[in-house]
Amino acid sequence: MAQVDQGFFDKLAQTIVDCDKQACIQLVKEGLANGVDPLEMIDRGLGRGIKKVGEDFGAGWCFLPELIGAADAMKEGVAILDEAIKASGKSRKSLGRIVIGTVKGDIHDIGKSVVAAVLQANGYDVVDLGIDVPQEAFIQGIKEYQADCLGMSSLLTLTIQEMGMVISKLKESGLREKVKVIVGGAPVTQDFADEIGADAYGHDAADAVQKVARLLGRQ
Amino acid sequence: MRGFSGKRVGTSFPITDEECEQIHNAAVRILEKGGMRCDDPRASKLFEKVGCKLENDGRLVKIPERVVQAALKTCPSQFTIYGRSAKTDYDVVIGNGDVHFATVTGRYLRDIRTGERRKATRKDAVDGARLADALENVHGLYKAVMWLYDEPPIINSQILVGEMMKNSEKGMTWVYNTGAEHEVSDLIRLWEIAAGGKEALKKKPHVLGHVIINPPRVVDVHYTDWMIGFVDAGIPITVYSATISGATGPATLAGMMVQVIAETLALVVLTQAYKPGHPLCFCSFNTSMDMRTGLWSFGNPEYATIGAGIARMARYYGVPTVAFGICDSCDTDQQTGYEKAFTLMTYALAGISLTWTLGGMAGFNFVTWDQMVLDNEVVTYLGHYLKGIRVDEERLSEDVIMKVGPLPGSYMREPHTRKWYREEFLIPELSNRDFFETWERSHKDLQEKAREKALRILDTYESKVPLEVQKEIDDYLDHVRKRGDVK
Repeated sequence: MAQVDQGFFDKLAQTIVDCDKQACIQLVKEGLANGVDPLEMIDRGLGRGIKKVGEDFGAGWCFLPELIGAADAMKEGVAILDEAIKASGKSRKSLGRIVIGTVKGDIHDIGKSVVAAVLQANGYDVVDLGIDVPQEAFIQGIKEYQADCLGMSSLLTLTIQEMGMVISKLKESGLREKVKVIVGGAPVTQDFADEIGADAYGHDAADAVQKVARLLGRQ
Repeated sequence: MRGFSGKRVGTSFPITDEECEQIHNAAVRILEKGGMRCDDPRASKLFEKVGCKLENDGRLVKIPERVVQAALKTCPSQFTIYGRSAKTDYDVVIGNGDVHFATVTGRYLRDIRTGERRKATRKDAVDGARLADALENVHGLYKAVMWLYDEPPIINSQILVGEMMKNSEKGMTWVYNTGAEHEVSDLIRLWEIAAGGKEALKKKPHVLGHVIINPPRVVDVHYTDWMIGFVDAGIPITVYSATISGATGPATLAGMMVQVIAETLALVVLTQAYKPGHPLCFCSFNTSMDMRTGLWSFGNPEYATIGAGIARMARYYGVPTVAFGICDSCDTDQQTGYEKAFTLMTYALAGISLTWTLGGMAGFNFVTWDQMVLDNEVVTYLGHYLKGIRVDEERLSEDVIMKVGPLPGSYMREPHTRKWYREEFLIPELSNRDFFETWERSHKDLQEKAREKALRILDTYESKVPLEVQKEIDDYLDHVRKRGDVK
C-alpha cells in the first residue's frame, strides 16, 4: 500500500463536509489508482468528514440539507471503496447495517429519509428501500444487505398495521432473532410498538439514532 | 352567520400584480412541459377528456394553459357551507369578503377536568363539537380531535364524524383520515343523515371537502376517490397541495408559489373536468421544514406568507381561499399567542375566507378547550383591527369636539360617547386589563379563566341536534360497527 500524506485524507474528508459528491468520487478513484488503502480512505477520510458534519449538526452549525448532502456524498464514495475492499478479499467493520423504508400503502417519504440521513451521519450503513415497500421487499433487503436493524415508517393510521405484518413475516422467515426492529411515524406510539412486537419506537430522528445505538449495543 | 369584515380585509399581499403573472406563467410552463404524475386511470381519463396530453401509459399528464383557463372560467367565485340549525343562521359564505374562523384538531389534548395531557377519545370528540357549537366566533368545525384512540382505527372516521354531527349544527370540513374501505361512502351517508337526506345535502351542503396533491406533482389515488365522493354528494371542495419547502418543494418562497400553484391548478382542471361549475377554493397549507429536526413547521413566517401569496393568486383567478392557522408551540403559551396572531393577521389582511385555528397547537398534535375559548377571544381582536378607521361625517365627531373642548370639559358624560364606544372599542371578556396594583394583589390566570369558561359550557351544554337525527346517526354507526370491518 502506498504511503499517503495527511493532506490527501483531509481533502477527502472535506469533500464530505462540502457535500461534493463529484469531488468525493474523483478523489476516491484517484486514491485507488495510486494504491491508497480503501479502508484507510474510509477511516481517515470519508468517516472523519461525516463525523465532523454530524458534530456540526449536533452543535447547530449546519442543518439537515448539509447532513443529507454529506451522507449522499459519503454513500457514493463508500460504494466504490466497498467494491475495492471486497475485491481485495478484506471486509469492512460497520457500526451497523440498517434497512429502512416506508411500509406498503404509504407514500410518505420525508420523515424516513431524514432518519436515514441522520443515521448515516452517525456512522451507520443505511439502505433506504424507499416508499410503499411490500413485506417481501423488506425481507429481501434484510437478507441481501445482512442488516442488523430494520426501520419502518408510516404516517397513516391504517398502514401502521402493516408494520406488524412485516414483523410476522420476519418471524416466518426465521429472521426475527437476527434483526432489531425500530418503528416510527406520526400515528405510531410506544404502546403500538410494544403491541406489534417492535424492539423500539423513535419519536424523531435524534431519538431514532439513540434507540438504534442502544439496540445494537453501540452506546 | 357573518364573519369579520372591514376595509383592511384583502388589502395586503406579499406579491405584486406583476409577480402574480410571473408565477402563473411559470406554473403553466411546469404543467405544460413537466406535467403531473397521475396514479389513477379515472383521473387520467378526465384530464384527457378536457384536452390534456397523456404520456407514459396515462401516468403522466401534460396540461396546456387553455385547459387551465377554461377550467378556471367555470369555478364560481363564492359558495356557501350551510349550518343545520332551524333556529340560528350558521351559514358561512366562502368568498363574500368576510373572514371566518373554525376549530382545528389534535391527537393529544389536555383533559379539561384533570389537567392530564393524554390521547384523544370519543368523549373528547363530543366535548370538542359541543364547545365549538357554543362559542360565538366559531364559524365551522374541523375534526374535533384527530383520532379516537379508544375506537378501532378502521371505523374511527365514521365515529368521529357521527359524534360531530350529533353535537354541533355548524358546518364542518373533512380531510381524508384513515383510507378505510368504506370511509368515503360512510361519511357521505352520515352527512346525508345530518342534512336530512341525499337531496338536502346537495341543496345545502354543510361540509367542505379537501382534495390534496401529493407533492411534488402527483395526483393521488385516495384523493381522487374523495374528489369523486365529494362532488357526487354536492359537497364544495378546497383543492391544494401539502408541500414542504426544502423537502417536497423548492426552498425559495417564489419557487414554492410556482409548484403549489401548478399543483393546485391541476386539481382545478381535474374537478372541473369531472363536474364543470363545482364550487372550489384554494387553501394555505404549504410551509417550510425546520431544517434542524425535519419538523413540518407551521408557526413560521414562511407559512403564512406563502398562504397570503396563494390568496393573492386565488383572487387573480377569481376563486376564494381558506387556510390552516396552526402553530408549532406545544402548549398554551406565549409562542402559541404570537405565532397565531402573526399568521391570522397575515391571512386576514390577505382576505382569506376561512381559517381553521381555534384550540389547536403543535401542528395537528395538541388541542385544549381552554385554548379554543381563548382563540375565540383572540379573533375578536383581529376583527377590530380589520375594521380599520371608519371615516364618515358622524364619526369625524366635529360637533362634539367643538362642544367639549377646550378644557375644562370631558367626553365621559357625552351621549356621543355612549353611542359609539361599544362599537369602536374592543372590550374583551377574558383578557386582563386590571390596574397593576389590583392585579398584583390577586388575579386569576388567563388560561384558568378560559378553562373555567370552557367547563361552564361543557357541564351544561345540550346538543340542539334533533333527537331523531341523533338516533339515526347512532343506528348507522351501529351498522358500521357490526358490518365486520372491525376484525
